[in-house]
Amino acid sequence: MILGDNLRIALDSLLANPLRSILTLTGMAVGIGAVLYVVVLGQLTQQRINERLQSLGSNILLIRPGYSRMHGVRTAASVNTLKWDEARELLAESQVINTVVPTFSGSAAAEFKGISWSTRVTGTTPGYARINKEVLSEGRFFNDEELRRRARVCVLGATVRDKLFTGVEPVGQTIVLKGSRFTVVGVLTPKGESWSNPDDQIFAPLTTVQARLYGVDYLSGIMAGMQRAADFDEALFDIENTLRRSHRLADDAENDFQVRRQDLFLSTMRDTNRDIARFIILIALVSLLVGGFGIANVMLVAVTERIREIGVRRSVGAKKQHIMVQFLTEAMVLGLLGGAIGVVGGALFNRVQLGSGISVPWDWVGYSFGICAGIGAIAGLFPAVRAANRNVVEALHYE
Amino acid sequence: MSSEPLLNLHDICKSFYMGKVEVQALKEVSMSIANGAFVAIMGQSGSGKSTLMSILGCLDSPTSGSYLLDGIDVSGRSDNALAEIRNRRIGFVFQSFNLLPRASALRNVEMPLVYAGTKPRLRRKMALAALDAVGLSDRVSHRPSEMSGGQRQRVAIARALVNEPSLLLADEPTGNLDSHTGEEVMSILGDLHADGRTVVIVTHDAQIAAHCQRTIRLADGEVVADSVAGSEHRLASAAG
Repeated sequence: MILGDNLRIALDSLLANPLRSILTLTGMAVGIGAVLYVVVLGQLTQQRINERLQSLGSNILLIRPGYSRMHGVRTAASVNTLKWDEARELLAESQVINTVVPTFSGSAAAEFKGISWSTRVTGTTPGYARINKEVLSEGRFFNDEELRRRARVCVLGATVRDKLFTGVEPVGQTIVLKGSRFTVVGVLTPKGESWSNPDDQIFAPLTTVQARLYGVDYLSGIMAGMQRAADFDEALFDIENTLRRSHRLADDAENDFQVRRQDLFLSTMRDTNRDIARFIILIALVSLLVGGFGIANVMLVAVTERIREIGVRRSVGAKKQHIMVQFLTEAMVLGLLGGAIGVVGGALFNRVQLGSGISVPWDWVGYSFGICAGIGAIAGLFPAVRAANRNVVEALHYE
Repeated sequence: MSSEPLLNLHDICKSFYMGKVEVQALKEVSMSIANGAFVAIMGQSGSGKSTLMSILGCLDSPTSGSYLLDGIDVSGRSDNALAEIRNRRIGFVFQSFNLLPRASALRNVEMPLVYAGTKPRLRRKMALAALDAVGLSDRVSHRPSEMSGGQRQRVAIARALVNEPSLLLADEPTGNLDSHTGEEVMSILGDLHADGRTVVIVTHDAQIAAHCQRTIRLADGEVVADSVAGSEHRLASAAG
């Protein structure tokens, strides 16, 4: 008994009941198609997050003010403890931190010729553009000279530009922020959607924002750039050392500031996303399981219909295993054919839904066929065993 | 004829359970059939002839007793061993033909060779030869539904012959045929006997049995008569 004979018998019997076969195949195909679609979708999202992670860089630490706690009790609101001097001190003392960028953010309404747009104003240093790899679409970022003399210049995020300027070249125009007039010197290229839209922001020299707009001397954050991401632990140590000493924290007090890596947030997102993707794949696999039950059902019917055939085959010398393999082959052919249709259908659906640039996830195509053959085999096993164990004499006279 | 009988049954018993009641289908049946014999096994329905046929054909094992086929004790063999014996030593012809409806005559005849592990090319050659032997060379690619009853039974005979069995077992081979085609089928079986094959026919029809050299009668699971060429006498263990 060779494979070819079994395949021929299997295909023959599938063709004998075209409608039944098609319905069973559809169940299988839909399951596989769903798995492939979900897998591709998951991979695509991962890829997008990864791209964003890459552009962020993993060697930037964000220091934010937090609350001071002692014995678990919040002792003082300390949102105003972070100072520019501390940033400078950090840069001077740490061997591994080679850039510090202080920021202060506040909200403000920006006005231009009767249009008002409520946005975030971030005061910082020219280093901000470098450390965040900002690209200007028009004009320039403000410079150290403007920072030193508290110049009323600003750089617009792409969203702000779109809201305030329609048909007007923004560079050189004057906008009003909290009653002060600022000259626009540049516009940033869009960074894309994120949890807080980074494009909906106006950048100005830190000195100007602190003194002229908000009258504060503290910071809302310090970005510390490390030479290498691997220096994270040492940088953290330096930051804690410097800030705790500067804030005169008692030995048993908790930090009144938080340090986090800029990319960690996204990494968490990525992990969450991956977990969700896995869960959805699991659901899609359940639909495959349902397809498997369809195969088992059809095979049970097929066995019952062909009891006479089983008897005849046994009478001319088929052993139990021959009958079993025959029906198992049929079940696996059902599974694999359904899988093949599902792979082709899924690939086409992906192309339509997600665009033509989508690569076929060959590893999952491979798994899918494995799963289909496996489900076919498991679904066919019980009917096949039943077929093989039929009493030959009874099977021959079965009506 | 060889001195060693082809079939040798000794005290074959077969019982079934119908619910909780034990039914004895065969009660200590003994017989031997010589190589090259042409034998009819006759009996009413319920006489045990179908059960005997199943045991002779190794489709079923006796409850007790010994059965030697070609000198091999086949009683108590494993299922696989019996399948192999059926495949190589026995050819079946059934009342209802038992052809696979979706397979061509050629495929039907090839079937025993598939399980014998014969290579496809040789398989085809042997099946064509068997179909030629029953006069169906022009029907090889027809399906059973495209053939007459007589032709179907000839396909079944070709299938029974294709693996060169020692024993040809026919179970009411003319039961589903009109008398004319029935005669045709019987003459083919007669020719096969003339060629030296051992043919055993199970039937309730005396006219069919009349074609045979020897008739064994069964009633209530026992051999009640064994006649050679018309002269009836009690069964002796060395008959045939």
